Amino acid sequence: MIKGKVKENINSYIFLLPFLIIFLIFLLLPVFYSFYLSLHKVSYSTDLYNIFSDMKFVGFKNYVELMKDSHFWWSLIVTFYYAILTIPATIFLGLILAILLNNKLFGVSFFRSAYFLPNVLDILVVGIIWTFIYSPHYGILSRTLSAIGIETFSKEGVLANARTALPGIALAMVLRGAGFGMILFLAAIQNIPKSIYEAAEIDGAGAWQKLWYVTIPLVKPIILFLVITGTIASLNAFTEIYAMTQNGGPFTVTFMGEIQGATKLSGYYLFENWQQMRYGYAAAISYVLLIITLIFSLVYARVLRSKK
Amino acid sequence: MSIEILKRKLRNSLVFTALLIGAFFMLFPFLWMLFVALKKSGHGFLLDFEFVKPIYANFLEVWKNSSFPFSKFFLNSLIVAGGGAFLTALFCSMGGYVFAKKKFWLKNIIFWLMLATLMIPGMMYMVPQFAIVTQLGWINTYKGMIIPHVANVFGLFLLRQHMETIPDALLDSAKIDGASEWQIFKTIIIPLSMPVITTVFLLSFLFQWTNFLWQLVVNTPDSTKLTLPVGLALFRGQYSTEWTKLMSASAFSIIPIAVLFLIAQKFFIEGLTAGAVKE
Repeated sequence: MIKGKVKENINSYIFLLPFLIIFLIFLLLPVFYSFYLSLHKVSYSTDLYNIFSDMKFVGFKNYVELMKDSHFWWSLIVTFYYAILTIPATIFLGLILAILLNNKLFGVSFFRSAYFLPNVLDILVVGIIWTFIYSPHYGILSRTLSAIGIETFSKEGVLANARTALPGIALAMVLRGAGFGMILFLAAIQNIPKSIYEAAEIDGAGAWQKLWYVTIPLVKPIILFLVITGTIASLNAFTEIYAMTQNGGPFTVTFMGEIQGATKLSGYYLFENWQQMRYGYAAAISYVLLIITLIFSLVYARVLRSKK
Repeated sequence: MSIEILKRKLRNSLVFTALLIGAFFMLFPFLWMLFVALKKSGHGFLLDFEFVKPIYANFLEVWKNSSFPFSKFFLNSLIVAGGGAFLTALFCSMGGYVFAKKKFWLKNIIFWLMLATLMIPGMMYMVPQFAIVTQLGWINTYKGMIIPHVANVFGLFLLRQHMETIPDALLDSAKIDGASEWQIFKTIIIPLSMPVITTVFLLSFLFQWTNFLWQLVVNTPDSTKLTLPVGLALFRGQYSTEWTKLMSASAFSIIPIAVLFLIAQKFFIEGLTAGAVKE
């Protein structure tokens, strides 16, 4: 009996081993290793090949520096702003599309695919295409708008103006991402029993009242899910900024006495520090971002529980 | 009664028009990309119909470009995405099987550790994973791009959930017939889980195909293993005003995924929305 148990254990671990080794090295170890790195600094005397083994211990110096770093605080503000720009709009658009698609219409399955398709396409490429669309003077957006007398984007385009750059990026990402929410909403709406709507109709509810009092409360879990994934996407946002701006610019904003990039989200700021080989500092940034994410997750988990 | 029908018809055609306009706006960037990709050099911004001859000339030029060989980038992307997806699907199936059907030491602890890492944003992994890959000497290699993302916890959970529904009696009778663990896995578990394995494969393929940041981080600009997105980013640095070429280069990344999506839509949508349905 004991022998059988040992054998089952060995057999199980043989199956699990490839996954487990990669998991331990590349997903679990980094959590601790990142903290270790955040307490160190690259010593510039070393050669590239030993850069990580020759780091100097500096204690919490990176974290202290980070708390005084105006660029870091600014990046958090921009990240928050980006979340505000993208999350409600994505939810709203997804819900509208789902409601429209919840009709017996010709071509519904075509629309479903068409709206979802941009979701699976490369963010870098989508960003590059939008840069083209947003170009000053000759870009299709600026041309179309100046044809009807709006010259706002003729001179600078959308992305070179500190006011419109981040909303422009957000619009591109909302149009790319709305189909995801749409699919979730559509499935949920189709699961709502017809009888609830019929009962509401008997009580004299119009279309808007049915939407507000029946549909929205019943899709609340999906709204919450989209808020969570949207928050994580904002903290992870990098590629769209890389594709659509010059190093997180335009650089016309001043905050805490220093010039800041209008679209420099925390993910991009982290990348920039990595690029400048400030590995210890970059690790400290990722740790602080991790803590922020965990706080958000806890808040959401509590909201979710109070709903039940 | 006929007014009712008329009303409904009117409403439906309004909704249909709204949907059509919506679809146009959401797909416009990609239609525009294709349109510009076919145009003569210098005509990218012009609203004319001056197309190159033959119509695929821009694609051909980008494909064979000697300093930015997109044929090579395409091949690299295919190797990274295909290899990554194959290994992910295989390892997740093997792991999912033992989590669904076996008891082993530390099972719960490992399970909770995996669950905990699901909460960590990907950006957080960039620096430590880069440090690890550097020390392993995996910079500018396929394995450096593929391996760190093969342990897909979400994929394993998805497969475990499905494999739990496979009846134990089926496995027991195979065991009585003298089948080895591997034979049971290969002849019973895998065939019965194929739809979910396909989902995990396709999602991993998509993830690795578009994993720009990581591929940028583990490749130096002179790497021979550059993938499509990284190649495209470098290409843009050089030809930032050549929009017709840039759009044809972009199409190489977009079109294969769009085709794959249209063929296997069901799997993509099921997999991508699986996280929400569980809530």
